[in-house]
Amino acid sequence: MARIAADQSREAFAELFAFFAPRLKAYMLRLGAGEQEAEELTQDVMMTVWRKAGMYDRKQASVSTWIFRVARNRRIDVQRRTTKPPLEPDEPMLRPAEAEQPDSAVSRMQMEEQVRAQLATLPEEQLALLQAAFYDGLSHSEIARSHGLPLGTVKSRIRLALARLRGGLDDPE
Amino acid sequence: MTRQNDLPFSELFSAYAAGTLDAGLALLVETQGALRADIKDAVGQSEAVAGAFLEMTEPAPMRAGALESALAQIDALEASAPAPQAGGPVDDGEMDQLPEPLRYAIAVSGNHETWSTAAPGIHRIALDVGSQMEVELYRIQPDAAIPRHSHGGQEYTLVVTGGYTDSSGSFGPGDLAVKGPEDTHRPVGDAGEVCFALIVRDGAFRLTGALGVVQRILGRR
Repeated sequence: MARIAADQSREAFAELFAFFAPRLKAYMLRLGAGEQEAEELTQDVMMTVWRKAGMYDRKQASVSTWIFRVARNRRIDVQRRTTKPPLEPDEPMLRPAEAEQPDSAVSRMQMEEQVRAQLATLPEEQLALLQAAFYDGLSHSEIARSHGLPLGTVKSRIRLALARLRGGLDDPE
Repeated sequence: MTRQNDLPFSELFSAYAAGTLDAGLALLVETQGALRADIKDAVGQSEAVAGAFLEMTEPAPMRAGALESALAQIDALEASAPAPQAGGPVDDGEMDQLPEPLRYAIAVSGNHETWSTAAPGIHRIALDVGSQMEVELYRIQPDAAIPRHSHGGQEYTLVVTGGYTDSSGSFGPGDLAVKGPEDTHRPVGDAGEVCFALIVRDGAFRLTGALGVVQRILGRR
């Protein structure tokens, strides 16, 4: 990412493309895009990644998380299809942290590592529900319906999973 | 009345991270994240979970020539003029102190000079962020009171600057109060500082006091 921002490195972009484009396409297909649309949306996202690479701050998020945000924002644009033209091309969520933002209690890098390490240890039933909530964006009641589970079970499994991800930090719920 | 800690907030954050949260509530989450480190961390963690799922996704192969097509687009991009910069955030004196996501929403709405008066010392503007809900920014002068009202649905109130007090307690910057149809209240701006509050509601806001009758007759705004 740094090489894309600093040197406009096409080699670095090609590496990123090789890993992320097929995953982004799978994400778009999962959201219900057709084959052609998924391909085009993926290209759009990768183009945004190229243009905004300078905004990526490795202290704030992993590359995957950052690229997911770009894709997520593209998804929102498509869903809204507002008649108004976008006023400003810079999505606030892509900007590096500003002085006005409060300091994080924990290092983002540590947090991301923790999330990854703990996700790998979660039982399949919890992982599936986390994916439905955080990746597909379903509400707990939608998940309950689609998985044929009582709402309370959905909530408690997600709560358990999140407690694990936080690594024993108090669950604020 | 619910304070934030009583709520199933992971649901707000997961929908936000995934991009399915209503735009008004998304603005609320972003604004609160700009005010509070714990909220910003919760959002960051939710997005990290989503990012990890992207990484774990079974890849769907791109068509032949997809990378070449992307590189050609990059060449075309570099050959064209740089995109014009959009105007800066709203520059309105006291509104400079508002967190960036909110200033952006105000700028997009383009109506920051058209505050309407809801009651003496209470002004509001509607924020047009593409929400299915009603999204308003309130400006509450010290000691000014919002007439007692009930709620047709859920009402989320995020204090951005200053504070207000009602019978359920005092709320300061970063505090989020959620009220349902069963709640009525009469918030009063705290002394000393103007209170800006972001309000997102999914049902009609109904005034219940004497002034409410007048408002119902006149219609809202």
